[in-house]
Amino acid sequence: MTAHLSQLTASARRLALVGLAKNTGKTVALAALLRELQAEDRCVGVTSIGRDGEEHDVIDTRIDKPRIFLAAGNLVASTDALLRASGVAHERLTQTGVRTPLGEVIIARLAEQGAVEVAGPSAAEDLREVGETMIGFGAEHVLIDGAIDRRAASSPDVADGLVLSTGAILSTDLEEVVARTRDAVELVRLPVAGENAAEQRITVTRRLALDAEPTEIATLLREHPQTMTLQVEGALGERFLEGLLAACKDLGPPTRRELRIVAGDPTKVFLSHRGPSWYRRQGLCIEVLQVVGLKAITINPVAPQSHRFDSRQLRELIEAAVPDVPVLDVLDRTYLALAK
Amino acid sequence: MPEATKPGASATRKVDLAQVKPYADHLGDGIVQMSFTLPVPYGLAARKAAQELAAKMGFEHPEVVHYQELTDGYTYFVMFGECTQTVDYASLGGDGFDIEYMSEDEIEAFAREHIGRPVVVVGAATGTDTHSVGIDAMLNLKGFHGHHGLEGYKAFQTHNLGSQVPNSVLVSRAIDLHADAILVSQTVTQQNLHVSNLTELVEIVEAEGARKQMILTCGGPRVSNELAKELGYDAGFSKGTYPHHVASFIVRELAARVSAA
Repeated sequence: MTAHLSQLTASARRLALVGLAKNTGKTVALAALLRELQAEDRCVGVTSIGRDGEEHDVIDTRIDKPRIFLAAGNLVASTDALLRASGVAHERLTQTGVRTPLGEVIIARLAEQGAVEVAGPSAAEDLREVGETMIGFGAEHVLIDGAIDRRAASSPDVADGLVLSTGAILSTDLEEVVARTRDAVELVRLPVAGENAAEQRITVTRRLALDAEPTEIATLLREHPQTMTLQVEGALGERFLEGLLAACKDLGPPTRRELRIVAGDPTKVFLSHRGPSWYRRQGLCIEVLQVVGLKAITINPVAPQSHRFDSRQLRELIEAAVPDVPVLDVLDRTYLALAK
Repeated sequence: MPEATKPGASATRKVDLAQVKPYADHLGDGIVQMSFTLPVPYGLAARKAAQELAAKMGFEHPEVVHYQELTDGYTYFVMFGECTQTVDYASLGGDGFDIEYMSEDEIEAFAREHIGRPVVVVGAATGTDTHSVGIDAMLNLKGFHGHHGLEGYKAFQTHNLGSQVPNSVLVSRAIDLHADAILVSQTVTQQNLHVSNLTELVEIVEAEGARKQMILTCGGPRVSNELAKELGYDAGFSKGTYPHHVASFIVRELAARVSAA
């Protein structure tokens, strides 16, 4: 039997909730987590890299969104206008100076319980500061809700733990949902690069990593015949990986080798077509310097305005595909029964 | 003309901004004009159906002012009805939602005074999007509807990378050019593809550690500030945006960042 989301995530002071797409149930997971933490009388701080608690989906207004209920004493990052519109009494603790398209972000403490709209900073640097500020004001847990499919909230600079949300919205094909979830999990759990003093490691320039032609990458490999490890400091994307594969092929068998490509952390690795294991089979091992612990996966078996899968079946298939991570549907009867 | 019906007489009446409702003949009448088509044949029953439907929408005293047959089995209606709901405009006007737009001359003067160097803007239609019309209208000298694009301003140094530009290439060029702002246009649909392309750009900028150095703006037919917030952009521009709107936002935001630094 699985545990509560709050138990699974208890060790992470700053927890990021990241979705694989819109409508995978990030906010529903957040609401469940809030309910559980409030039942334990925890002081919680909530921020969002997007906007949460709005009544309707911003792209498809036919979709109703879950509300965010906070208890008195909880902390929230939002804009003045959104907080005032919520009608919930609150005390403004600080102005963050962070400007968003919806206004400047403030941190407030609720004077009474109620439903609020959450809208914190988007940039990782600002998010880290808001997290620290909330902890300074007494938050025992800082919950950072993601937006759409953005992963920046799960950077090791920002979060200590991660919950991934996936669901039927990814595809009408159940197998495809499972495969894409497996790829996403593999990405957040990329192997951490060990230190090997003897190895030759070169740092790939930003321009080469983002914008290089395969011929330039081939030149780089030819100039460093002993190098087995390429370090990428910024974004590592498919364009570079594909360029590497093409370059390796061009160089032919004598110089063909297995390469390690090391990025900072999983939020800096951008793979939309093929997962890390595919690249590994081609001889490119993607590794990172740091990871954030994946605490749980939540699923939404319903794709709004489209189709639905059986919750249990989807959970079991994902559990089989990604070992060692609890898979929950926080709206399923079995989970709700657990909560009682 | 009697005093009360003089033009402008009603305009001097005080509007309660905390309880705003539609206006037709006099303040607070709540009258809304709407049009829709029902898949029913033209006739009195159709008229009655439209009235009932409007009442179910919550309109009081719904009235059909015009109806006609569109084609066999379809009737088009124009209706009036009284809206009983109000909105609290006062709580919305405060911050964030409104950007005060400046004219071209004002923007030039503002940039000279507060920034003092050319503002570098890099624009593109990204990913698979082939629609460069939006980005061209904002950036190119020609602009549209008689409004210069940013290229025509002394305050801006613009680089239009065109359409179908991969995000990684756009970010690389923007960093090389020391861009102050990136402007992307994208036709957002209900499919996740376009949205993912917009979020990927933000995340690549973040991965390069350049997020705080660059103003990110996006535009497209369905882009709003609310969507921009979700996507991680600093502003979103939709239909009806002119180059000076984008320019006003960029120079103001850049000046605010310069003074905060």
